[in-house]
Amino acid sequence: MDFIENNSDAQTNSDQSNISDKVAAKALDKGFIEEQSRIFKNTWIPVCHESELPDPYDFRTSSIGNENVIICRAPDGKVNALLNVCPHRGMLIERRPQGSFLEGQASGNPKRITCMFHAWQFDMRGNCVYVAREKEGYQDRFCKDDAGLRRLRCEVNYGGFVWVNMNDQPAIFLEEWAGAAFSAIESQICSAPLEVVHYHKEVVDTGYQQLMSQDFGSIAGDANAANLDYGHIVTRHGEVENNDPSQTSSFPSPESGQSTSVRLFPGFAFHLDGPTLNVATITPLNDSQVMIEHRGLAPKADSEEERKLRSKHYNAKFGPFRLQKMPEPNESVSGKVEENGLFIHYNNEWLRWMDQHPNGETRISEFPSSHSKTQGLSENGELSGPHIVVIGASHAGVAFVDKVRKNGFGGRLTVFDRQVGGPMERPPLSKAFLLGGGETVESKSLLRQKKWYKTNKIKLKTQSNVEAIDTKKKTITVSSGAVINYDNLVIASGAIPRELPDTHGMGNAFTLRQPSDANAIRQAANNSDTVVIIGGGYIGLEVAASLRKKGMAVTVIEAAKRILARVASEPLADRLTTLHEDNGVQVLTGVGVDSINAEDGIFDSVTLTSGQKIVGDMLITGIGVFPDSKLAAEAGIETQRKDGGAILVDETMKTSEEDVFAVGDVALRRDQSLAIESVHNAQETAAVAAAAVTGSIAPTLQTPWFWSDQYDVKLQIVGVVPVSDDDVYQVARTGKRDGAVSFWSYRGKELVAVEVVNDPATYMEARQCLDTGQSPDPEQISSLSFSPIDSGGARS
Amino acid sequence: MENNSLVTIERKIEKIIYQAALALDENNWADWFKLCDDSFFYSITSFSPEIGKDMTYFSGDKKELTGLMDMLPKHNTDHSPLRRHTSVYTIDISEDGKTAEAVSSVVIYQNLLDGINSHLDSGESRLFVVGKYHDKFLINDSLPKFVNRETKIDNRRLDKGSHWPL
Ligand SMILES: Cc1cc2nc3c(=O)[nH]c(=O)nc-3n(C[C@H](O)[C@H](O)[C@H](O)COP(=O)(O)OP(=O)(O)OC[C@H]3O[C@@H](n4cnc5c(N)ncnc54)[C@H](O)[C@@H]3O)c2cc1C
Ligand code: FES
Repeated sequence: MDFIENNSDAQTNSDQSNISDKVAAKALDKGFIEEQSRIFKNTWIPVCHESELPDPYDFRTSSIGNENVIICRAPDGKVNALLNVCPHRGMLIERRPQGSFLEGQASGNPKRITCMFHAWQFDMRGNCVYVAREKEGYQDRFCKDDAGLRRLRCEVNYGGFVWVNMNDQPAIFLEEWAGAAFSAIESQICSAPLEVVHYHKEVVDTGYQQLMSQDFGSIAGDANAANLDYGHIVTRHGEVENNDPSQTSSFPSPESGQSTSVRLFPGFAFHLDGPTLNVATITPLNDSQVMIEHRGLAPKADSEEERKLRSKHYNAKFGPFRLQKMPEPNESVSGKVEENGLFIHYNNEWLRWMDQHPNGETRISEFPSSHSKTQGLSENGELSGPHIVVIGASHAGVAFVDKVRKNGFGGRLTVFDRQVGGPMERPPLSKAFLLGGGETVESKSLLRQKKWYKTNKIKLKTQSNVEAIDTKKKTITVSSGAVINYDNLVIASGAIPRELPDTHGMGNAFTLRQPSDANAIRQAANNSDTVVIIGGGYIGLEVAASLRKKGMAVTVIEAAKRILARVASEPLADRLTTLHEDNGVQVLTGVGVDSINAEDGIFDSVTLTSGQKIVGDMLITGIGVFPDSKLAAEAGIETQRKDGGAILVDETMKTSEEDVFAVGDVALRRDQSLAIESVHNAQETAAVAAAAVTGSIAPTLQTPWFWSDQYDVKLQIVGVVPVSDDDVYQVARTGKRDGAVSFWSYRGKELVAVEVVNDPATYMEARQCLDTGQSPDPEQISSLSFSPIDSGGARS
Repeated sequence: MENNSLVTIERKIEKIIYQAALALDENNWADWFKLCDDSFFYSITSFSPEIGKDMTYFSGDKKELTGLMDMLPKHNTDHSPLRRHTSVYTIDISEDGKTAEAVSSVVIYQNLLDGINSHLDSGESRLFVVGKYHDKFLINDSLPKFVNRETKIDNRRLDKGSHWPL
């Protein structure tokens, strides 16, 4: 029992039967539960050392209170802590104490945390990347983005220890909590990379409080003990007992003769003793048993000799087979405890956490408990006044809150999104993002940095699915069960990619909309050589270009006669077809999909209506989107069809309900027949709605614009090409730069849209023409000497 | 070596492994040491899958072990006797017949004597440790003696009462 040196009283439970059974049977004590939830689930716990998971995809499991935790290393080397509980049915996911997710298990793919029950899969950040039979089983009401493993606060610090706090919002930073205590040994434990070289644990039949009182009993009267804030205690001794006093060097030197102990409340002891570092952590099991884990650490760079020397010292002092001295007859340990200043210091902290301090001092109000976040937003901090609630934190939702604040709205603003993590830009997901190798979504793709929401007093609630709207009561219901009142509601729920029925629940078959989809595609692409893409629209083509750049063999299948049949002119489509073919992509047009075939549930091939079979390692379907309007339709808000379609809005983006607006991909103006799915449209509709809500002047509308990147080609499009209008024709204009060309679409003499390839200057001119209603002469536009801006005028 | 003498030496090795078990069961260190060469080295090791490392929990030569035995009475000791069940699995005698190695399984039970409430607990037997003995011998005049014993235990959870050689 070396948590407490020389502990002669604590009794050991020698029965090595299953600990978990005991915990279950005896952990129901009310006081114990309260102690766990008030103290252990709110403080920082050193769950393991980073050397226990040295490589990407390595993991270690632990537990805090009754919660199981996985600590794993992401491909970028970062250590994450996740709740080891499957969001599907709450089953425990990983059962091994330590291991690696790099190789696939019997029931899971490589590089994934796989639940063995129904094979849901998660990446090293806890994002859900695969849900078996996702759409089928959940009637579209569920999407895997909702279903990540709960990510816990986790930091690596103080000699490489992994610290986890079960409270998502610990009011106190780790450094503030432990920094002063660690300053006693930080220079020693941080001077060289350490690794755990000894590990053992023991279970003692002693309650947690009693164990602690015994520990403090053992160091009672230590004149060198310092009581620090938060109940921590540091004891220092010049030299280790029996050590050569002439040795003055300190750890990590193998000749060290010093000893210093840092005891952190509620029960983690870091003993620097001569050449060794012992870290003892306690896990109370129930009201009368505690497990103590001992770790012995040594510098990674040790020679074999140095290791032996440390090991010998460690075993004598902290090993499971060490000798423990009998207390001297006059050294009665028990009985003194109540007068022991160290224990009083510790116990006062315990009383603060338990809200039992005689002076009314408390930690719980200082440290908001994790329960507080499930409470309603009535406690919405400093701001009061009208409450605008936004559903969806993507291009449209975030642009709306930005504009509404800029318009001077001073009331409360809350944005809900079911996604995990900060709102991301969508366009990079099919482009640069796929070329990256990491598993994380780069923060440069964040729509706004975290601080921005704070500065603008915008409450962002991620992983919060809005499940119902009640337009009569003016409330929404969130997945946490919270019912939130609104004065104005803005629906910015975007769109959902269409899927082919055959691909439901199929492994290695993807659609692309959210960051987690892109992540999953990127990971699969790293392990695949061939990809089949169904759909020759912008997303399909961008993904084709990205994955081709990665070196994959790519086939694009398009049912229409040509690619981009719904959105681009024929000459542009021809140009892009050539571009893709020149880059080695097989582009098949005018051919349908007969079936999508899987082997063992994993995508294998596509059989075309022509009978041809295209085999691939992975499949991406990019056949368009449909508006995510189910929530609105269920609330009786007018949509295109009774059962869905876009939410219909007026020219101020107001829906059929007073006080409810819709913006972005989910909305369609009643006076328009065509939905435009673009970032520009999301931003513009958001600005229009923000103006309506705040009574500000509506922004001047721009001609719709859009861009796409494929290989080294930058496409810029302004206006909407009326592809099904036979009266519309295109004139090509070759630019100055190599490969620069633009296609000007006219109806009669009227300019309707311009598609520009690698020619930003021409794009700016085209945009100016369309925004100002100018139509340069179609007869002359092909000539580079003709300036489109002042029609008819020659270029200088 | 003759087949016959090989069998005899194997028998002798088996015998001293069992004699060692009996001596250790009785905490009869003197008898145990009699079976060991002066160069004897003892260790308790374990592999921890938790940290992915081979560990030494205890080690010492004959002199250090003797020192430990002398110190035992001055320290806290759980008096519950330990009882071994040992089975010799393999014995490999070197070509020249001067050394040998043996692997045996060992299961150790603890027969409770001390307890939080010895009134209740004493007399109960519990499984204490499982592992293997990896022994090395020197053979002089057909007489094997221990020169090395590595007790490789599977336990990483080790509670009180176990700080003498297993
Ligand atoms: C891969 C990709 C590449 C693209 N490239 C380009 C490009 O190059 N140029 C361009 O102009 N456009 C591009 N687009 C299109 C553009 O990104 C979209 O038009 C734009 O994202 C629409 O924004 P939105 O806010 O309306 O909807 P979305 O981006 O779909 O966001 C809707 C949000 O609402 C959330 N939500 C929905 N329902 C709920 C609910 N009930 N509760 C909580 N949250 C909810 C969703 O989780 C989502 O985050 C691209 C799109 C994708 C997917
Ligand atoms: S419980 Fe984990 S997938 Fe069903």
